[in-house]
Parts: sequence; structure tokens; C-alpha cells
Amino acid sequence: MNRNQPASVRPWHQTNWDWRAALNFLGGGTGTGLLIAAAFAGGAAYAGLALGALACVAFGLFWVWMEIGKPWRAINVVFHPQTSWMTRESLVAGPLFVVAIAAAWYGALWLVAGAALLAALFLYCQARILKASKGIPAWREPAIVPLVIATGLAEGTGLAIVALVATGNLATRWLIAALVVVLIVRDLMWRQYRRALARGGAPKGALDVLAGIDLPFSLVGNWGPAALLLAAIPDYAAANTLALIAGIAALGAGWFLKFTIVARAAFNQGFALPALPIRGQGKRVAGTKPGWEKPAQG
Amino acid sequence: MTRWAMAIDLRACVGCQTCTTACRHANATPPGVQWRKVLDVEQGEFPDVKRTFVPVGCMHCSDPPCMHVCPSTATKQRPDGIVTIDYDLCIGCGYCAVACPYQARHIVHEREFAYDDAPSKSEDARFDEKRMSVATKCTWCVDRIDDGLAKGLKPGVDPEATPACVNSCIANAYTFGDLHDPESNVSKKVDSTEWFRMHEELGTDPHIFYVVDEK
Amino acid sequence: MAADVRKVPEYCYQCVAGPDLLQVKVEDGVATEIEPNFRAAEVHPGGGKCCVKAYGLVQKTYNPNRLRTPMKRTNPQKGRDHDPGFVPISWDEVFDIVAGKLNEIRAKGLIDEVGYPRVAASFGGGGTPTYYMGTFPAFLSAWGPVDFSFGSGQGVKCYHSEHLYGELWHRAFTVCPDTPTTRFVLSFGANSEASAGVVGVWRHAEGRMNRHLKRVQLEPHLSITGACSAEWVPLKPKTDAAFLFGMLHAILHEHPREALDIRFLKDHTGSPYLIGPNGFYLRDPASQKPLLWDGRRNAAVPYDTPDTDPALEGEFTLDALELGADGETWNHTGVRAETAFTKLVRHMEPYTPDWAEKICDIRPGTVRRITAEYLEHAQVGATVEIDGETLPLRPVAIILGKTVTNGWGGYECCWARTLIPCLVGALEVPGGTLGTTVRLNRPATSRQASVKKGREGFMEFPMNPTDKEHWAERPAVRNAHATLVPLSANSPWSTALGPTHLAWLFRDGSPEHWPEVTAPELWFVYRTNPAISFWDTTALTRRIADFPFTVAFAYTIDETNWMADVLLPEATDLESLQLIRIGGTKFIEQFWDHEGFALRQPAVKPQGEARDFTDLATELAARTGLLEKYNRAINRGAACAPLSGEGYDFQLATDQKHSAEAIWDHVCRAASAEVTGGAAQDGLDWFRSNGYRTRPISRLTWYLFRELRNQGIRFEMPFQERLYRHGVELGNRLHERGIQWWNTQLTEYQTLPACKDFPGIWEKDATLHAKGEEYPFWLVTTRSMQYAWGGNAGIQLMDEVSKNLRGHGGVVINTSTAERLGIQEGDLVEVRSYLHGTKGPAMLRQGIRPDTLLMIGQFDHWATPYAKDMKAPSMNSLVPMSIALTDATGSAADLVKVSVRRVAA
Repeated sequence: MNRNQPASVRPWHQTNWDWRAALNFLGGGTGTGLLIAAAFAGGAAYAGLALGALACVAFGLFWVWMEIGKPWRAINVVFHPQTSWMTRESLVAGPLFVVAIAAAWYGALWLVAGAALLAALFLYCQARILKASKGIPAWREPAIVPLVIATGLAEGTGLAIVALVATGNLATRWLIAALVVVLIVRDLMWRQYRRALARGGAPKGALDVLAGIDLPFSLVGNWGPAALLLAAIPDYAAANTLALIAGIAALGAGWFLKFTIVARAAFNQGFALPALPIRGQGKRVAGTKPGWEKPAQG
Repeated sequence: MTRWAMAIDLRACVGCQTCTTACRHANATPPGVQWRKVLDVEQGEFPDVKRTFVPVGCMHCSDPPCMHVCPSTATKQRPDGIVTIDYDLCIGCGYCAVACPYQARHIVHEREFAYDDAPSKSEDARFDEKRMSVATKCTWCVDRIDDGLAKGLKPGVDPEATPACVNSCIANAYTFGDLHDPESNVSKKVDSTEWFRMHEELGTDPHIFYVVDEK
Repeated sequence: MAADVRKVPEYCYQCVAGPDLLQVKVEDGVATEIEPNFRAAEVHPGGGKCCVKAYGLVQKTYNPNRLRTPMKRTNPQKGRDHDPGFVPISWDEVFDIVAGKLNEIRAKGLIDEVGYPRVAASFGGGGTPTYYMGTFPAFLSAWGPVDFSFGSGQGVKCYHSEHLYGELWHRAFTVCPDTPTTRFVLSFGANSEASAGVVGVWRHAEGRMNRHLKRVQLEPHLSITGACSAEWVPLKPKTDAAFLFGMLHAILHEHPREALDIRFLKDHTGSPYLIGPNGFYLRDPASQKPLLWDGRRNAAVPYDTPDTDPALEGEFTLDALELGADGETWNHTGVRAETAFTKLVRHMEPYTPDWAEKICDIRPGTVRRITAEYLEHAQVGATVEIDGETLPLRPVAIILGKTVTNGWGGYECCWARTLIPCLVGALEVPGGTLGTTVRLNRPATSRQASVKKGREGFMEFPMNPTDKEHWAERPAVRNAHATLVPLSANSPWSTALGPTHLAWLFRDGSPEHWPEVTAPELWFVYRTNPAISFWDTTALTRRIADFPFTVAFAYTIDETNWMADVLLPEATDLESLQLIRIGGTKFIEQFWDHEGFALRQPAVKPQGEARDFTDLATELAARTGLLEKYNRAINRGAACAPLSGEGYDFQLATDQKHSAEAIWDHVCRAASAEVTGGAAQDGLDWFRSNGYRTRPISRLTWYLFRELRNQGIRFEMPFQERLYRHGVELGNRLHERGIQWWNTQLTEYQTLPACKDFPGIWEKDATLHAKGEEYPFWLVTTRSMQYAWGGNAGIQLMDEVSKNLRGHGGVVINTSTAERLGIQEGDLVEVRSYLHGTKGPAMLRQGIRPDTLLMIGQFDHWATPYAKDMKAPSMNSLVPMSIALTDATGSAADLVKVSVRRVAA
């Protein structure tokens, strides 16, 4: 391992998607997660939760619109459904808003279910957007898909609990239990994601950033709130407060995770030389992959 | 069917950046935007150190991730393999830039000048508003290739029909031509040497061949 | 789309490795693109390409920081801290001022009271400014004595010892491998891939790709050239001589004699010459020719006796004459004498490879391995036929870089790198070590024509005399090259190749028994910036400020013309006219199979009021009453080519002013006639369209061996009787005047040089001035193709692309060293010598010795627009200018002992 790789050839953090793009993943994930959670546990509060969820999604889309270079040509985004997950996300967005508003208005079960399905699709598209970014090793790892979905669900469920508790409604026991499960899944997905990244090799910069959030994310974002939620399952005075805190933690940790992945761990591929040139009569020496944890392949 | 390809002999490259500047000239890219550039890569520990110069840019992959992710269809691939960007369609979302594992794409949102805050005569003469806030990258000087072909010239042989970086190289490190023509310069180079393609394991099928040794 | 698109042929000669032939694309009158002149591939040895610097010319043309009108200083106080207060004036006014000053000087006399020319001139970049100054050389010629003493970098930043010793030994102002044929190159710090231009890069790359050309790069850091070599040997700075001496020992003591080219040594070198007891050749008393021992006659005979078998080795008894210094003679009877070769063998005995490796601080076994590879690749006995003539083929070469070929140790390195090829017959033959061109010998256009046989059987050399009668006791120029450096010769280049820092150094006070060094009353500066590019630049800047009247032909404000009195904006590279010679053989790797002429022409109109340099020269000539002499100088050939020759006469009328177009039209016609043997007489218009015109030449002109063989001349190797004699005589002359401060330099004049502790000279100098500080690191520099010689630090494009390479703008430091000192990548560090300090970001690399620091380019500009914002470090203010660090040729090395520490940003 060369201890000193020139900065110019090491993977550097991508500069094309900044915090505005990250907000799309925050808003979109949370919003769609909330819409799904609301479908299951919204009850009387469904309409409010659904509209809140759409606001989250719209908020995310607004910021991504603010990021693109030619905002007045934004409609061109829909031209490539054959392969582009960004096109697919945008195509889902329209029906999602229509159906979710209708569900909020009419409350019909099939509309509620439809909205949840579209939300799941939207969330899936977001996950695939990242996975299709071949230039960013921390995104293209397939394990990012379940992680993004899990965290969207965790954020949405967490936000549902927060919203319900904050508006004086009761969070159902099973919603609390569901969040416990989702948080455990999210943590498992996180672990799987990091293992997969390390196994496949990744820019050291990305691995360092992700390693840096491991403890706070797991402890404060997953296991801590899961424990609080377990403590909140029995019905007693402080249970809702515990659930509220856990919901905030689940939501905040999701945002923290996605912001980190999109805006801090998005080191690009960098460059690699599987073989070095033989100049004249030189000897063959191993290749190099500057800035990577794993040596060059091939 | 023609398939344009490029071979770069890393045994020859001296990192002089002549191709970088020639590209900046030929394509009138603004300061800091280098569709072609040469990396300076160090390997090993003192005193067993190697230093290699590696020209990089768009690899004109046969399976270009930038094209697949592009939501507007601005990025396309021609039958001859050249990956192009339609500046009138591109929305500047940057998705292609994060999809490209070669860091080959650039988006500039504000005009930049070599000196101060005003353009020089030459910068003004070549400014193209269409290129603002959209993705840009190496085109293998596609206009030269097309114009040259129209004049009956042979890309990779006749300078007028050949990418500027290839023309400019003072080490004769670049070879360009039709990979499907066994008699082309590039086919001969690829057939007669040991080479690698960068990040080939990502399945992009890149079409710059980095020559490292004789066969 | 542009309505009018043209491609205009030009040349680029921004660096000594040029010229490159190029074309500039002009769209609706605006220069937009540079590209190679593709047609030139048919004649140009670098594939007709142009280097990265040429691509900066568009920005150079439209740089908003250019001076667009003549300017006059309004602040009479000069110095870095005094704003000159330049104000625009008209051309008429600036000509009045300059011509007025010149006429005033002419009225007083061209030589001042001490004996120096009142007018001085400094041009930078290894003579390249002459390719941009049009007919200004004709003006200087018409003027009379001009002092070119004030250097701008030469000596410390050039191949100085190589220039002088190289020309002495094989007409090699610089040295180069026969790259298209060689198979093995030992490069001691020669940074060919950064400083040998397009041709160097092209030819070496071809060798690497197609011919297994192995180059071993020996230097303290892994340069661009080291990177492109098969092997890097990280030598300690200034120990190159030890490595070469170790090789010599290995060749002479560890390999059989059959490995050497015995025939070459016997017939084409001074190896068999017999050496007398006083260290001079033993000579035939009648002819005074040196003697050798003829095995056939078993007797000593003059070296040029036909049909001999000279003894290469051995001790013999003979009667002979020995001629010493200052006419001293000894008539020997029955004296025992060894051959020069035997003396060499004994001389090299102590310098074992093991000794060398310890000095060089490299892996044991390296010297022996590389020596064996060198001998193996030499193919002693092989021949090749070129244009019907059979020549030895020896595909091995040794080349030296800067800091190796200048300053103390330069002589020893140059001697060894000339001698080693002689041992295997690889000097000036195909595949071997070649000289490129001549600057000290005449004629400057032909190495071959400069070869004349001297009494000793070696090439004549125009040494400055050291005998009592002819020694130049009173220096005629301020750096006293003819007085102090016999080897600097007497050509038009000699002053600029003398100890050019002495003129600056002595301005602060002459040493004992030395005349005062006056300031020139008028100093011309063009394409040079010594306030940045020389050494001890802080002191140098003060000395520039002392000059009473400085005329700068200027592109932008810079650190030197900050002290000027008037600034004259000249039409730059793409805006002005000039025809130059191209082809033949020239530094640094320009070996052509053609020769001829190339044109530079206005592709676009000059910006602002900038004027063609030729028109400036003509106007100055007219206003100083020198028009006739000036025109005559042009007619003689001061502007590229003589205007008349056999069968043609395009001479200018001498009594009138001619426009630049008219002058260059005449030159073009003469050039056309010259290159076609009178068949064509095309003028400027033809060259405007075609760019260049050449004729083929034989490759035999590359190899000086052929000329020596034809004339029966030997290479002056290994024994340096001539140098030794001049050294003794010079010492006598100086001591007769009571001058003792050049004594150390006199020790360099040795018949067989000893390898000294060269690093110790710098170490001791640092210790002497240390005042308690420690300076444990070596600071060195290296060339950068983007900038070398270009005077282009103010060009944004060069700054931008050079950043793609490691090291520009920072302090390169070994990673382990940095870790030990707590320095991380990008940390601001201060590097200090006992003289000064400089700051820059640390750049950590493995490819540099742990005891060495590196700064590429020296860009601590404070006045040049754009460059002054780079905030880059520079070693130039750290390198002390002193007699102690000056060698006998008058050069020093770009090297200094320093400390380094992290500082707050």
C-alpha cells in the first residue's frame, strides 16, 4: 500500500450533487415512508399524514429542481423511461401526488393502498437512482437499495409516530412494534451495505466517512430508539414520550445517513492502473489504484 | 461498421499536457475544464518508486452508464461508438456525471475567464451559450471526424479528421482509428501490444486501450 | 460560425529546445487555436509537433495585462518598494528619450572611464530572445561595444561546464545521445522529457516503444525523465562525479581490456601520448609534437607518424622535450615516461565502486551492474554504414543535466562523461554521445567547419590567452570572462557564457586588486527577468535598481522592468515578422535530416500600440545616426542570412529606413536563394504561405568523429595538458597582480581530475554561515515543460495544466521525512537557507530522497500580473551568490542546504 497517493489521482468527492440533491433523498424517502406508514396506521389522521408526506416529497423535488442546470427544461426529465431511474422516479411522482391527494380526500382503501404502492415505487426508484450511479462506489453497491428503502420506511414510520404523538393521537402499539422491526432491519441493511462495500473495495475516503458514522447511526439511530420503542410498547404514561423520542431519532438518523451517503461519502471512482508501463527494458511491477482500500485488480 | 477507438501508449507518455492544452484549444473549453488531461500517478515506496502519466477523459464506452442514466436522452451513442451530448436536450441534472466512473463529465454554470472578470477576444470569439449549465465532455472531436470523412479523409491518419489530442501528442503516444478495420493504426497497435482498459471490471466496455508493453 | 478562417504558419522558439513549427487558426481576425504545422512532419525530427508552451500563445496575445503603449517612469526612486509610476507616452516620445540617451552616450564615448562599455544588454532563455527581436542584433552590431555581462540565470541554471568543456573536447555546447540509434543511456539528472522539447520527447519515446531503449536516470528525485526511464537511481546531490569515477574504476580495473575499443583509444585519443615528469606531454624537440611509443619501431615518434602501433599502456625510456607553462621547457635525456592511459589507470585506482556507492548513498552493487550493462550495450567492434561511409556503431550514451554540469564537480563530471565513451569508442559516433552545436567556436553554423587541427593533434580551441603578453589584464566587460576564464573563448556568445554573476556580485564592491565594476549607463533588457530567475534575487533586485537608465522591451510589467525607465511594448510572437534558420544539429535534441529557414509572421494585428521589433530597431538606428551601419549589418547577415551570395544579391540600400516587411522580404529572398542554391528567390509572400523551406542534409553531419578521422585529429582525452598549462599561467598572472581570491578556482585545472568532496563544499558553506541554525536538507529544482525558459509565468493556461503534474507551486518532500517532521500534504512549510526563507505548501512524494527537497519553477513573483498571485515558493532567493561557490568556469549550481518546518498558514 502506497502511503502517499497524489490527491489529484485519488478519488475525490463528487461535486455534481450537493445538499440540494441530498434533500431530494431525504424528502422523498421520508415522504414515501410516511405515506406507507400512514396507510397502515394513519386511521383518522391519514389525510393529514398523507398531505404531510406529499409535502416532504415535494420539498425534495423542489430542491432537486433548484439544482439542475436548466430548470426550465425540467420536463425533458421524462424522456428516458427505458433505462433512466431518474425518468422513472419523475414518472411515478405525478400519479403519486394525484392518487395520494385523492386518498386523503376520499379515504377509500383502494386509493390509500394505491398511494402506498406508488410511494413504494417512488422510494424504490430513488434507491435505484443511487445504484445506477456507476461512478460513485458508495452508491452503486447493490446493498444500497434495501438500505435506502429500509431507512425510508424507518423515517416515515418514525415521522408518523412523531406526528401522531405530537397531534395528541395515540401511536398504535403495532406501529411502534413495526418501527422496532424496521429499525432492526435498517441496522442489518446498514451492516450488510458496509460489509459489501468493504468486500468489493471502495475509495478509502468513502469508507472512512461511513466508518465515522457507524457508532452514532447504529446506537442513536437504530438500537437506541428500538430499545426506547420496546420500552414504550407497554401502555403507561411516559410511553408516548419515549416513542416520540424514538421516532425523532429514527427520522433524524435516516436523514443523517442519507445526507452522509449522498453529500459526504460520494467519492468518485478515481483512476486505476492494473499494470504499469514497461519503459525500454524495465521490470514489471504491480499496478496501482490510488486512494482505494483494495489493490488494483486485473 | 466503424467502431472508433483510441490506444494510448503509456510507455511513451511524458505527462507534458500538450494534449490537455490542444483539447482546451480545439474545443474552446473554459479555464479548468479539461476534457482531456494527463494524470501523474506514483506507485511504490522510496526508493522503489514508479511514476506513470495517464491521459484520461471520456472512454466512449460501448455500454456507457452515462447514457443509461440520462433522463433526457441528451446523451446518446452513435453507431460508430462515439458518445455524444445534445446540448439542446440536456437539463444539466448531473446524473451522467455521477454515473461516469471516469470523471469525464463537466458542468459549468457560470462563465469563467482566464484573466479577471472579462473575456478576452479569443474567449469571446469562441463562447457558446449552449454549453452553459449542461453536461460536456470529450467528443473525440467528432466534428473533425465527420467533416474529415465528408472530405474523404481518414480519421487517425489525416490530421484534419483526427482528434486534437492525437494530433498534438509529442510522444506519439496516441493512436486513433477504426477498431473494426484490422488494417487501421489502432487495430495494429492493439493487436501487437499488451494493454488494459480502465475500470473494465465495471462492465462499461471502454474504448481507450492503455498500452503497457509489447506482446 | 466565423466567416473568415485562416491557418497561419509560425514557429515557436520560446525555449532552447525549439523551434517547433506550428500554425495558428485565425477566425475573423482573432487567433483562436494553435496546432502543429502538420506538413512539417516531413522534415521535422519531432513529427512536426509543437510543445505545450506554444499553446499558451493565444492567451499571451490577448492577455489583458499586456502593456499596450510605451510607458515612462515617473518615480525617480527605484526599488521593489517604490512604485515606478509608469505613465503612457507616445512612441515618438519614447524614441526621443531612448535615442537621446544613446546619443548622449555616443558623444561621451562608448567605453566608460574604467574601460567597460557604457551600454549593456541582457537577454534571457539561452539565446532564444534573438528569435523574437527581429533586426535588433543588427542595431547592436552597428552600435559597437555592448556589455552582455549581466546574466539572468546562466551559470547557475545552465549546463555551464558542459558548454565550455564540451566545446573544447567535441564541439559540444550541449550533449545528447544519438537517440534514434542508441540502446542504453545513462542520464545524470538530464531532464530530457521536460527540457529537450518536442524532438527529445518524440525520439526517446520512439526508442522506448520500439527499440527497448533503456535509460537509467540518476538523480535525487524521480523527475519526469526519471519516470519515463527504465530505472531510477536516487543519487545524493552532487555525487554524480563519484558514480562516474566508480564506473571508470570498474571499466579500467575490473573488466578485461577487450571490453574497450583499443583501436579508438590508440588512434583517436591522446591516450598513448607520453607524459613527462613535470606533468606535460613529452614532445619531439624538432616539431614540438607530442610523442607516443610506437610498438613497430620500438621508439618514441610524433603522434602523427604514419604506420605506427601506438603503445596504449606502459612505461618507456626516451629523450624528449617537455613544454611547461609560461614558456618553461625541459630537455630530458633517458627520461622514464608513462602513457597518458597508464597514468589514467593508476589515477582511477582509489575510486572503487564500493567507495562510490557510499558517497552516492545508493544500493551496493549498482555501479558495477550499470557499468557492466554499459559495456555490454556498447557493442565494441560493430559498425554501420551511413550514406556510403562506414562508422563505428556504439549504442551507448551518457548525458548530464543541470546542477551536474555546473558549479563545483562540473569539470569532473564532464571529463568522465567524455572519457567513458572514449574508452569504448562511443564519442561522436552513431549510437553514442554527441555534441549538438557550437557557440564558442566559429563558425556558429557548423560544428564540422569549426574543427581545425592544433599542434598537439587535438582540435584547436579559441582559449583566451593566459601568457604574459596577451592575457587580458584589464577586463573589457564587467564579468571579466576573458581575464578569469580562458575556456570561455572569444565568440559573440562568450560574454554571456562567462561568470555572469560576477558582474552583479562585484557591483557591491570589487574584490582585492580588481577594478571597480561600474553600472552601465544604459541597460537593454528583453525577454529576461533576472530579478526572479537568477540567484540571491533579493540582492540582485537591489543591484538592478542601482542602474541609472534601463530600457525594457516589455510584454507586461515584471520584477525587472519594475526598475526600468522606459517600457517599449513589442509586437509579440503571433504579431511580428522574423525569419530564422532551422535544421542541422542544435541543442537540445534537435538533430535534423534537413536544414533551411522558417518564418514567424503576424497572424493577427498587434494589440494596442505594440510594434514589430524590427521597426523598433530601425527607428533607433535612424535616430542614433547608425542607419547605414545598421543596414550594412543586415546585409552582412545579422538578421538570419547574408543578403548576397553566389548568384544573388538582395542587399538593402543602406541610406534609408526600410519597413519590417521590406527587410524580411529581402532576407526571405536571400534565404530562398541560399537553400536552393540560387534556384529560387521567393520572398516574404512565399514564406507567409508556406512557413518554411528546407533542403536535405546528410546524417553524417551528426557525427563529429568523421571530421576528426578525416583530418587526423584526436579527441583530447584523457590527459588535460592544455587546461593545466592555462591554469598554471592564469595563476601566475593573477598572483602577479596580487589576486588571491581566485585560488580555489585555480585548483580545477588538473591534468587528471581528482574526485573531491563536492557536497561538502555546500555543506561547509552552510555551516560557515549557519549562526547556530542547522540546514540538514538539500534543496534542488527541476525543469517543467510548461514553463522552462518560456517567460510565461503569467499565462493562465500553463498554470492550469501544470497543476496536473505533482510539484508545481509547492515544496516536494519525501513522505517519510514529512511524517517524521509532522508535516502533512498541503501544510504550509517554510524552507530556509542561511540567506533567506520561502514558503509553500508541502507536497508529499515517495519519489524523492529523504534528505532532499524539490521546488519546480521559481515563481515568487511580486510584480508580474497573474504570476504574483500564485504565491509559489522559489529557491532563487535562497541560493547564495559567492566566489566560494563559483567554479573555475565561473558557474555555480542550483543547489543549497536548507531547513524545513511547518508554519501556520
